[in-house]
Amino acid sequence: MTHVRGKITTVATIAFLSLLCLLFVLPIFIVLFNSFKGQFFIANAPFALPNTDTFVGLLNYKNGIAKIGFFSAFGYSLLITVLSVFGILLTASMTAWYVTRVRGRGVKALYYALVFSMIVPFQMVMFTMSRVANLLHLENPLGIVVLYIGFGAGMSVFMFSGFVRGIPVALEEAAEIDGCNPIKTFFYVVFPLLKPTAIMIAILNAMWIWNDYLLPYLVIGSQYRTIPVAVQYLQGGYGSRDMGALMAMLILAIIPIIIFYAFSQKSIISGVVAGAVKG
Amino acid sequence: MKKLSFILLMALLCVFLLSSCGGMREGVYFLNFKPESAAAYNEIAAAYKNETGRSLRVVTAASGTYEQTLKSEIGKTDAPVIFQINGPVGYAAWKDYCLDLKGTKLYEHLSDKSMAIRDGEGVYGIPYVVEGYGIIYNKRILDAYFALPNRATNFQSVDEVNSFIKLKALVEDMTAHKAELGIDGVFAVTSLQSGEDWRWQTHLANLPIYYEFLDKEVDLGNKNDYKEIAFSYADRYKAIFDLYLNNSTTDPKLLGSKQVADSMAEFALGKCAMVQNGNWAYAQIADVAGNTVKPEEVGFMPIYIGVSEEESQGLCIGTENYFAINKNASPEQQAEGIAFLEWLFTSETGKRYVTEKLDFIAPFDTFDENEGPTDPLGKEVSEWLNREENYSVPWVFTVFPGQGFKNDFGAALLQYAQGNKTWEEVKAVFINRWKEEQASALQ
Amino acid sequence: MHKALKKYFPVFVFPTLIPFVISFLIPVVMGIYLSFTKFTTVSNATFVGLENYKQLFSSGDNFLHALWFTVRFTVVSTLTVNLFAFALALLLTKGLPGTNFFRTVFFMPNLIGGIVLGYIWQLIINGLLSGLGVDITYSASYGFGGMILLTNWQLIGYMMIIYIAALQNIPREMKEVAAIDGANAWQSLRHITLPLVMPAVTICFFLTLTNSFKMFDQNYALTGGAPGRQTSMLALDIFQTFYGSVGSEGVGQAKAVVFFILVAIMAGVQLYFTRRREVDA
Repeated sequence: MTHVRGKITTVATIAFLSLLCLLFVLPIFIVLFNSFKGQFFIANAPFALPNTDTFVGLLNYKNGIAKIGFFSAFGYSLLITVLSVFGILLTASMTAWYVTRVRGRGVKALYYALVFSMIVPFQMVMFTMSRVANLLHLENPLGIVVLYIGFGAGMSVFMFSGFVRGIPVALEEAAEIDGCNPIKTFFYVVFPLLKPTAIMIAILNAMWIWNDYLLPYLVIGSQYRTIPVAVQYLQGGYGSRDMGALMAMLILAIIPIIIFYAFSQKSIISGVVAGAVKG
Repeated sequence: MKKLSFILLMALLCVFLLSSCGGMREGVYFLNFKPESAAAYNEIAAAYKNETGRSLRVVTAASGTYEQTLKSEIGKTDAPVIFQINGPVGYAAWKDYCLDLKGTKLYEHLSDKSMAIRDGEGVYGIPYVVEGYGIIYNKRILDAYFALPNRATNFQSVDEVNSFIKLKALVEDMTAHKAELGIDGVFAVTSLQSGEDWRWQTHLANLPIYYEFLDKEVDLGNKNDYKEIAFSYADRYKAIFDLYLNNSTTDPKLLGSKQVADSMAEFALGKCAMVQNGNWAYAQIADVAGNTVKPEEVGFMPIYIGVSEEESQGLCIGTENYFAINKNASPEQQAEGIAFLEWLFTSETGKRYVTEKLDFIAPFDTFDENEGPTDPLGKEVSEWLNREENYSVPWVFTVFPGQGFKNDFGAALLQYAQGNKTWEEVKAVFINRWKEEQASALQ
Repeated sequence: MHKALKKYFPVFVFPTLIPFVISFLIPVVMGIYLSFTKFTTVSNATFVGLENYKQLFSSGDNFLHALWFTVRFTVVSTLTVNLFAFALALLLTKGLPGTNFFRTVFFMPNLIGGIVLGYIWQLIINGLLSGLGVDITYSASYGFGGMILLTNWQLIGYMMIIYIAALQNIPREMKEVAAIDGANAWQSLRHITLPLVMPAVTICFFLTLTNSFKMFDQNYALTGGAPGRQTSMLALDIFQTFYGSVGSEGVGQAKAVVFFILVAIMAGVQLYFTRRREVDA
């Protein structure tokens, strides 16, 4: 009897969860089928499926891509994200090793300044930072990487340090006896050991930078648009917002994320959890 | 591992190296105010390069963000060379950046020198386009109405409608017959989404303020004359705004997500008979897929708000677009910027782009009569401008406070439309925000 | 080793330190200074003392309204997100078939950026509200509800994953012992499961708390503050003050400083709770 009841509960729970799943992906599907409807049939009836009157094929995609320059936005987003993530991994891991292994007041102060930067909201620095970036000519897709390295340093150094502390110093000393200088020791001995952490930190930073809006908008938004900036720009067109193009661009903005997720969901999920627990 | 770290290091190096020299971009920086002209300006830049070998870099700010963009761009080392100010108030905000343009050929060619923005002896802003707005109507639908046997009015043509009372009678009776006319409403949707509300918070507000200025004999050159405002024609504004709301295609509660594009599409698709907008909107009407309105069916009538002797009122004609050259740019850059503007408004190629692509009514004597606009609304504006029996309402909104005032007034209008604010509250927002913003803008 | 390493300061620290100084240290110091000045560009700042701070606490300013709205939003979203996330985590640790698939789907919205999320939900919420003949700009409470819905959609999966990890760490025997002792499901949850996942609860609470408190992109895209600026949260209010009109940059910067202090206090409280937990354990 209890066995049967248990089975019923199991089936009911699975049914409930499936329903919930459907509810979770529904918003994206609504945007998806709206992206195939003519622009004036979207806001009025967002829940209506396309029919012969309203179906416009890939027109919205064509318009949207042309209006915001989607492919160049995708290129900038990709370039900035990849370069920034690699930059952060390299600089933060090196610094993390240094600040854990070398003692001194200056080093400690630096470490705490970095940790402190994690809690400062972006609005605090948005205006002054864009001024500084301008003075130093960092207003281009490569210059912004420098800014991301600076902003990403706090969390990444903090997380790397936690793992460096777990590496036995003896390993490094052995390398030194073998005649390695610190640079060699770092790249041959320490960095390989940090690889699992590095993947996690890369994922956390990539998610942040790929989706970031304000920083690229304020610093390079007038000349180079990343995907979030481009999507927002579409919204602001002078009397020319095209709902169809907006829907299509939302879908195009989501697709790379879903592909990335499909291929590396295990590391993404574990990276996010570890990041949360550490941070 | 060695290889990987080497690549990483090189990448980082490249970043630092390239970022220092990647900042240099070619051409004169032109910060364009008109997003609807963005595509045309890109074509113009290509033609300019083709003809003169010099390059122009056009950057366009998104709707309602020009001031914000200009603010963040102008302080930069690579600041815009050509930018635009929207009138005396814009000049007050940006005067530290405006070069004196008195000696330029562009100013010489300006047909009416009094239109320029002057301060003392200097000329700091040169208008480059004259525009007009009013109520755009669909002749076919109006004719269908005039042909109705059971209508309550006896107008024979739209020309007889020359006051608010007559407009109201016409519109309300058309609403009563909207099923027979095959329309969803007389007026297109009153777009009140933030950033899409300029037809109301700026253009429509121009009329009551113009008449208030007339009563008070305000001198637009004297900023003390409009530090504060009584909004004495507020009830007239309310009357016309209510007429728009109550005879529209859309329930007033839904206006907060409606955009100008929605309005223009409704007009183009024949779902409404009238829409308040300017001649710049013609391209937008023509571009709507499934457009049912033929060019010859589009007409313009003035916006009547119910002041005395308004029968001879015409369209609202003026400009809020003045080119300025950045005083802090290098002399070479300034010369390049001026050279481009002169090329655009005096050379044959430039002029062709102005009339055909930008659809501008350009206020320069280099354009002769047959070089006017080619679109029906532009032609109507020229025609109204030349009617002796009518007076045009100038654009006094160029002395309105900045974007903050306009946004707050627009938001209050939306709340009024939704029934969440009383008209008295809207009026208070208008008066108070005017005072506050004007105080900080004109100091 | 460490002596040798010490000399390598420029190699190991400069690549982080220089960008950090550029993008963070200098802007923070400048920002604090500018909050006491009136400026449009940095070069024309004039010192005005506490004027900006007085202004932001004056009744005419939107700041206090934004603060109150943010606090209400943060409280409601923190409670709802954690409640749903915990309930889902309980369901997904029962060893049901398909657990992995469900987990993957529930987590997915977390990866989508705030601007894109905002527009997705604007479409859906306006669609739902059109049944009532209104849209999201009609009333601040619709905007509030929309933000809560969006935040739940985005964060439930994330918090759920953390709760699942914590629940899976509970030794099986403890529950079995409890069951033998006659504890029902509720008692076992209340007295065994909850105390053991308390650390995860603390983490998730603070994560939701700070995430909601600092939210910008979603707010900007979903409501943009409409109606008026009634649904502007702190981050958006600061942005609007800065870039909305010429002449109020100093006030915007002062607001940012106050915002920063509030966030720092929250971080301090979090640190206190985490530390206390470590001492207890």
